[in-house]
Amino acid sequence: MIKHLFKLIWNKKKQNFLLITEMFISFLVIFAVFTSLVYYYRNYKKPMGFSYDNVWVINYQNAKKFQSTDSVTQYYATLTAMLKSMPQIKALSFASGNVPFTSSMNTTGLSYKGVSYSPVNYYQTGDGYRDAFSMNLLEGRWFNQQDVVSTYRPVVINASLKEQLFGNGSAVGQLISDNSNSSIKKIKIIGVVQDMKDKGDYLPSGMALYNRIDTGAMRWLGQLIIKVSPDADAAFESKLYKTVANYMKDASVEIQHFSKKRISTNKSTLVPITIFCIVAAFLIINVSLGIFGVLWYNINRRRAEIGLRRAVGATGNSVSAQLIAESLILATLSVIIGTFFAVQFPLLNVFNLQAGIYITAMLLAIVFIYLLVLLCSLYPGRQAAAIYPAVALHEE
Amino acid sequence: MDNQLNHSQLITDNSQLTTHKMIQLKNIEKVYRTDTIETLALSSINLDIAKGEFLSIMGPSGCGKSTLLNIMGLLDAPSKGDIRISDQKTDHLSDKQLAQFRNKKLGFIFQSYHLINDLQVLDNVELPLLYRDTTAKERRQLATEALAKVGLSNRIKHFPTQLSGGQRQRVAIARAIVGRPEIILADEPTGNLDSAMGNEIMDILINLNRNEGTTIVMVTHDENMAHKTHRLVRLFDGSQVQ
Ligand SMILES: Nc1ncnc2c1ncn2[C@@H]1O[C@H](COP(=O)(O)OP(=O)(O)O)[C@@H](O)[C@H]1O
Ligand SMILES: [Mg+2]
Repeated sequence: MIKHLFKLIWNKKKQNFLLITEMFISFLVIFAVFTSLVYYYRNYKKPMGFSYDNVWVINYQNAKKFQSTDSVTQYYATLTAMLKSMPQIKALSFASGNVPFTSSMNTTGLSYKGVSYSPVNYYQTGDGYRDAFSMNLLEGRWFNQQDVVSTYRPVVINASLKEQLFGNGSAVGQLISDNSNSSIKKIKIIGVVQDMKDKGDYLPSGMALYNRIDTGAMRWLGQLIIKVSPDADAAFESKLYKTVANYMKDASVEIQHFSKKRISTNKSTLVPITIFCIVAAFLIINVSLGIFGVLWYNINRRRAEIGLRRAVGATGNSVSAQLIAESLILATLSVIIGTFFAVQFPLLNVFNLQAGIYITAMLLAIVFIYLLVLLCSLYPGRQAAAIYPAVALHEE
Repeated sequence: MDNQLNHSQLITDNSQLTTHKMIQLKNIEKVYRTDTIETLALSSINLDIAKGEFLSIMGPSGCGKSTLLNIMGLLDAPSKGDIRISDQKTDHLSDKQLAQFRNKKLGFIFQSYHLINDLQVLDNVELPLLYRDTTAKERRQLATEALAKVGLSNRIKHFPTQLSGGQRQRVAIARAIVGRPEIILADEPTGNLDSAMGNEIMDILINLNRNEGTTIVMVTHDENMAHKTHRLVRLFDGSQVQ
């Protein structure tokens, strides 16, 4: 019977071509939708890796111009002391511009045993950075005052980078080299922290390297991260603002809360994918109406054939099963063609996503297309079963 | 061939076979009901058709000939009355059993052939066998044989649209006989054909009846064709008049 259906489909290839094309395009669209959804969902399921509640950032720009490194150090040490004396401030750290939930990125490349690793997110952090974000230390330690740069620059890396570099082995004490960024290219790993999803809940942390801010870099920075106690209110915030603004006379100062930044970052991730899903949904509705219409039309065009099949021994149910099987065969052909294109994404590593994401999306898209086609053919199939052979055979 | 002689000879054959009843219709009535009208298509039809008989049905258009054939072919159920085929009651059969019954016992031929234009001749002829337990090889062999019987061995790879009307009807006959049914129901099989082609078709049916003993019921508008059969039944307005 299957061979018979293939013959029928083959001999009607012109009509079926359109249907297969429609299903094929739907498959690719659905595959794209599922790829994004699976990607975002997988990221979402991963732990945040840090805490952003009651963590604020003070952005300052155009701070004082300094004559010497010593005076810079002195200037910021005084500010730090002032802030630390406030009981609401639990931890504090200067940081490079790529603080969590901003679009700012700073990347570098590393090499280890002749293999290059990039892009690696590169963060300038202070000794209080880990405490401010309650980051999880997996191995070794975070920076402290004893960390002075000598032959090697001490760094902390995240779990993703560790896994890339050392797999399951230990990272602490290992030496790697930085391909850019610093005059001291030799790096010694002193600690490993859990991945920190600092681009929002739906995006991966990527590989990360945390560098300790050295005094020479202070003049280029513009972010101060503080962890405040839960009772820090608006009154405290304005007092903090005044203190900092007064101290940094010429600077423009702004305080932001990471919990709010997270929400807007997530939104900017979700809005495009939501729009994409809506557009795809409209397309799919259109296509399924198309498939439904074509099947419906076919059944009316094939009434005599259906009547004849009944006369020569088909039951109503087998006629309906035949028509559904025909559409599922068409769906299978479309899915085969679609899969051929879809597997190119992991094979050619088009968007640098894990193969597992593509494979999951492909399987979901296959199931989706089959369900869609099944759903679109069930009703026309039932209508076909209800055709009276005596009537169908005598109309012209 | 001398038609008159042929005719009487067939009648003699027929008389020997009357004891075995192939189709028995008892008090058949068929009413078509739509929302607004009721049509009495058949009323009190009583008809016994013997095994091996070639019966023709005549009557004006709309008198219920097709309806009667559909009822004999179990494609439609009567509103009242009984049908027995090979002494078997048919009113209790399920959809599936009816389908199997049609598949095994009955072959249909229609005025408009009802070939599937998207299938080659051979595949069209194989169609009834797809609904039984057969292998592809068996199907092919039986279909080839059936096509040989109707003289179309050289057209098996053609599509129906590449054939003449007479050839198409021969394909339809091959399809009707491929499953070796005991009964063939033909609804105006020569209705769309000129008399030469019609005679060809008629000869095939007569040979089938004579050589294989197939019981044939044929609706026709053509007196000449009707007179070549064993018996003629005339319908008028849903009733049997002769
Ligand atoms: N499915 C149907 N619904 C309603 N009326 C029908 C149907 N089929 C046939 N009829 C009516 O029954 C009568 C007999 O029809 P039919 O058996 O096709 O006549 P014939 O084959 O002798 O020309 C006609 O009046 C026709 O209009
Ligand atoms: Mg008719």
